Amino acid sequence: MQGETPRSPLKGLRKRWHESALLRQLMWEYRRPIAIGLLTLVIVDILEVIPPILLKHAVDVVVERKPLEEIWWMAAAYFFITLIQGFCRYGWRRYLLRSSFFAGQDLRNRFSKHLFSLSPSFFDRKRLGDLMSLSSNDVEAVRAALGSGLLVAADALFYFVSVPVAMLILSPQLTLLAFLPLPLIPWLVARNERLIHQRFEKVQQSFGKLSALAQETLTGVRVIKAFAAEPGQLERFRKAGQEYMDLNMSFARVQSSFGPLLDFTMSLGLVALLWVGGHHALGGTETLGTFVAFQRYIQKMVWPMAAVGMAVSFYQRGVASSRRLQDVFDEKSEILEAPDFSQSELNHAPGPRAIQGEIEFRNLSFRYSGSEENALDRVSLVIPAKARVAFVGAVGSGKSTLLSLIPRLYPAFDGSIFLDGRDLNQYRLSELRKNIGFVGQDLFLFSETVDQNLGWGLDEVPARSALLKLSERVALDGEIERLPQGFATLLGERGVNLSGGQRQRLTIARAIARSPAILILDDALSAVDTRTESRLLGELRSREHRCTELIAAHRISSIQEADWIVVLDRGRLIQQGTHQQLISEAGGLYRDFYDQQKLEEELAHYGERADQAPIAPGV
Amino acid sequence: MAKEPIKHLSLLESEDLEEQSGRVQLRGQEVARLFRLLGGHPGPLWIGILLMFLATGAALLEPRLFGYAIDDAIIPKNESRLFQLTLIYFGVQVLRVLTTIGQGYFFTLLGQRVMQELRQSLLTHLQRLPVSLYDRTPAGRLVTRVTNDIGSLAEMFSAGFATIITNVLTVLGILIWLFILDFQLALVAMAIFPILAGFSIYFSARLRIAYREARNRLSALNSFLAENIMGMRVVQLFARESRQFARFEQVNARYTSAQIESIHVFAYFQPAITWASGISMTAVVAVGGYRAYHGDLAVGVLVAFFAYVLTAFQPLREIADKWNLFLSGMASAERIFSILDWPVEDEARGSLTVIDRSKLPAIRGEIIFENVWFAYSDENWVIRDLSCRIDPGARVGIVGHTGAGKSTIISLLLRFYEPNRGRILLDGRDLRSFDRRELRARLGMIQQEVFLFSGSLHENVTLFREGLEGSAEIPLGLQEKDLYERGVNLSMGERQRLAFYRARAAKPDLWILDEATANVDSTTEQEISALLRQESLGRTQILVAHRLATIRDADLILVLHHGQLVEQGSHDQLMKIQGVYSKMVELQRIEGKAQSAEGQRRDSDQRVGSSVPSGPA
Repeated sequence: MQGETPRSPLKGLRKRWHESALLRQLMWEYRRPIAIGLLTLVIVDILEVIPPILLKHAVDVVVERKPLEEIWWMAAAYFFITLIQGFCRYGWRRYLLRSSFFAGQDLRNRFSKHLFSLSPSFFDRKRLGDLMSLSSNDVEAVRAALGSGLLVAADALFYFVSVPVAMLILSPQLTLLAFLPLPLIPWLVARNERLIHQRFEKVQQSFGKLSALAQETLTGVRVIKAFAAEPGQLERFRKAGQEYMDLNMSFARVQSSFGPLLDFTMSLGLVALLWVGGHHALGGTETLGTFVAFQRYIQKMVWPMAAVGMAVSFYQRGVASSRRLQDVFDEKSEILEAPDFSQSELNHAPGPRAIQGEIEFRNLSFRYSGSEENALDRVSLVIPAKARVAFVGAVGSGKSTLLSLIPRLYPAFDGSIFLDGRDLNQYRLSELRKNIGFVGQDLFLFSETVDQNLGWGLDEVPARSALLKLSERVALDGEIERLPQGFATLLGERGVNLSGGQRQRLTIARAIARSPAILILDDALSAVDTRTESRLLGELRSREHRCTELIAAHRISSIQEADWIVVLDRGRLIQQGTHQQLISEAGGLYRDFYDQQKLEEELAHYGERADQAPIAPGV
Repeated sequence: MAKEPIKHLSLLESEDLEEQSGRVQLRGQEVARLFRLLGGHPGPLWIGILLMFLATGAALLEPRLFGYAIDDAIIPKNESRLFQLTLIYFGVQVLRVLTTIGQGYFFTLLGQRVMQELRQSLLTHLQRLPVSLYDRTPAGRLVTRVTNDIGSLAEMFSAGFATIITNVLTVLGILIWLFILDFQLALVAMAIFPILAGFSIYFSARLRIAYREARNRLSALNSFLAENIMGMRVVQLFARESRQFARFEQVNARYTSAQIESIHVFAYFQPAITWASGISMTAVVAVGGYRAYHGDLAVGVLVAFFAYVLTAFQPLREIADKWNLFLSGMASAERIFSILDWPVEDEARGSLTVIDRSKLPAIRGEIIFENVWFAYSDENWVIRDLSCRIDPGARVGIVGHTGAGKSTIISLLLRFYEPNRGRILLDGRDLRSFDRRELRARLGMIQQEVFLFSGSLHENVTLFREGLEGSAEIPLGLQEKDLYERGVNLSMGERQRLAFYRARAAKPDLWILDEATANVDSTTEQEISALLRQESLGRTQILVAHRLATIRDADLILVLHHGQLVEQGSHDQLMKIQGVYSKMVELQRIEGKAQSAEGQRRDSDQRVGSSVPSGPA
């Protein structure tokens, strides 16, 4: 798409047009309330022209001794107009601003919906903070452009059309005079916008620096204290604070002088009016009332002048944010659903348990996008249904990668992974995943209750008996009951924090709750003690619906009971066999691994003994 | 020791909740404290106030001048008077623009200066807090206090404070002016004013509730989204995308309805002002017009009334709006002041002064632990009944499994924590009798994780202390290089060497290495070892070691297990016992073998992964 754009003078304009696509789209969707809002706004602005005329007439009645009752009419008309204006002011807020909030809601919905459709590689690339800032700041900027931005722009426009017209009708000569300082204003606004923008950037940068420095000083507080180096840090912070302050002041000089300068520029019109208009009134060329009306009109023109500048900056920010959001909307998941024919084929297949769980890797190689190295290198392996296979290897050996390809978290090439003899990529994603229980290393639990977390993969929270059975299977029985509210205990930030072992067992329970055909435990037992671990692994085997189990682990106790053990190194399959076969291979990676584990266990065991009988230290 | 900060910590946490429940109240104490801060900058304060009065006065005078021009010049057809008044009018406008700009400038200056002062004293205070507090408080939360809370306070000064006072002055000025001009007409014009003022107070309260509700729902929305992004894998693995999205829609709708509520409040308020000023103007036109018609009232006064009445109502809106800014600024002030009240490590010492290292008496380096017990919390002992003696000038290794309490011993020596029972003697003197910072200034500490500050290499070695040499000899060839965000452009080995030079720059009497070479390759390790030997000749060295080979030649090896000293002696002695130490040596031998089979790169990866950062669990 980028390469195809022709190099032409239209390019910039076309780019803008493309960037604001989201903004225009939303505007179109909300055209009705926006139109109503703008209509009420027009009424307010047109009516705004009348009060000065009424005041003019009132003054003229007084000065020129017209019939007294006209004053009553003027008063009544004045009241009537403000009454309508009040209703209309309510109207444009309600229609224009409110619909902008609905548009913001829409946009946030769309954004989040899109996020849910993106694959893990996207989230590997993006930082949480950036995505959050898109959903809050950028959506808000687009919303503000639609709401306040449109409002301010329309308001300014209507004022420019209505007020000067009224003035011209009253007195063309005075109008010219009053607008004498007018050309100054666009210049003032433009200059102000430019300076504000430049200086605000600098203030923001400096604020970022100051925050980073505070962050650094507070996270490095141990080092600073260890060297008694506090004064140096404080001096740095003082300097950065001083710089921030100076930049703020230079920003304030522009910002706080803009309003008064604008006022002053318009008041030059008032000075001219007082002098020349006063002369006219004095000489009787104009009525005193006209003079009074002009005073009001000129003051009314200050706002629309300022509004032009505001509208421009609302719009610019809105377009910039709409572009950033569009970039995310343009992202596509790298996991693609198979073409329709296979879906229909799957629909004819009997229930979800139809998957048996036989897995075959056929010369599988995989490389993460952006990486130069193969994470997996020509791995071939057949795992019979209902077997337990353990994967062993150092960090970075490719165990996790291999396991994460099975639920298609990352895309594998066609023809490299087969499930029950059928290419994995031919399954419908949701059907495939519903048949796989995957427990990764990150142990993510949601800040909801325990039973809601356990029922995460089910359509509803399981019954209490099912919950109890489930917690028994993962050797969690008793522990959940001891939590403050049992299964109804809230987890996470605002609730209870579980230990690593408890979290691991909960995530396993969550995975087996929906009886998957394949269970994958990626280093999911590391924080569970050996006794609990062997109980849990035993429970998994004795289940009536036994499934294919793929277990990656560091601990020998998790592994040795497996039907088959696979040793990976740098993405390659280097050893495989049963535990007995592998430890007899002297000099093999598995044998070293086994020896190391045994010693570590002994050491830990030593600790337990030492606890019971403390050795008196001799001094 | 650690008990007190905990109490305050719970306060810190409760503040966030308090903000959510919206209980913001003005306490006299906080306001007085703020005023004292303001009083510290009399220049901008008084100039600002003076300019504010002038600006308000000029703004009030301006419409009146138009009235005068009508009554004194236009109606009596006095041309020279008109010229005079035009000049005066122009003068008033010039005065107005200058004073308004000046007032804004000086109030911003005042706010900025107060903020700079407050920021500085806050950071000073934070640096004096005990380390235990940092174990429990995420640094991010404290950073928010230093930056955002102070920012909202600054906004309160520059926008809220000045706007509120200016608007109050304007309203009062107009009211007084009107009553002076014509008492009866003023009464008629302003009859509606008290009603609208009362409505404004109600409106301000409703707006605050609406804003708060919107803020709460926004944070609910943000935490829902953040949690789902973090747990996206789990969502997708369980094929729950559509259900989670449906829930997002609900949370989102709740937030939007709160936003719309605040729009509604405004939507009612603006027409109320329109109508109030409409009623007022209608009365002025009718009553004033009638009286002027009968010659009872000067036309100029009537025109002035028009202008004043129209401007009298807008300030109410501004005040109602900015009042919330003011309240949130006060809430920030309260949070900042509460931190400033936390007890510091060394209450007795006034401030953080620069320590002149050369004036401190040297330490011989004899360390005696006498039945030391220590727990980070309650009775979870991390160090149990530790007693041992370290001779001056000895090279001592401390070994043990993760969680054995090795790093805690270092923390105790640095007096980051104090023993719960027993005592530590340094050169025969209880460690507690040393001034903390003077003690630390004489220790040279190298940690496993080398914390890098953004700045030049030289600054990272001297840690921004002036008059420290040590820059001349950084053989990294990187002198000119600036280090950015936590030194991403330095390798592990380079970082470790930098840490060595950093410690050396302090000219320490006692060297402490806390798993200093766990992350570097053996060449770098040997290099640093050699440098250390050369530099630390005759000085006590305490080495917490992961790689046992590092401390093979130590004079004394202390073996810790679950907080207890289980073995001590030289390498050869310990190997003979066939206890924990010898098992650890054997384990590392096998590990080494496995590693050489797997290759160096993974070796270091695995180590980074398995090493546990300092700090209590």
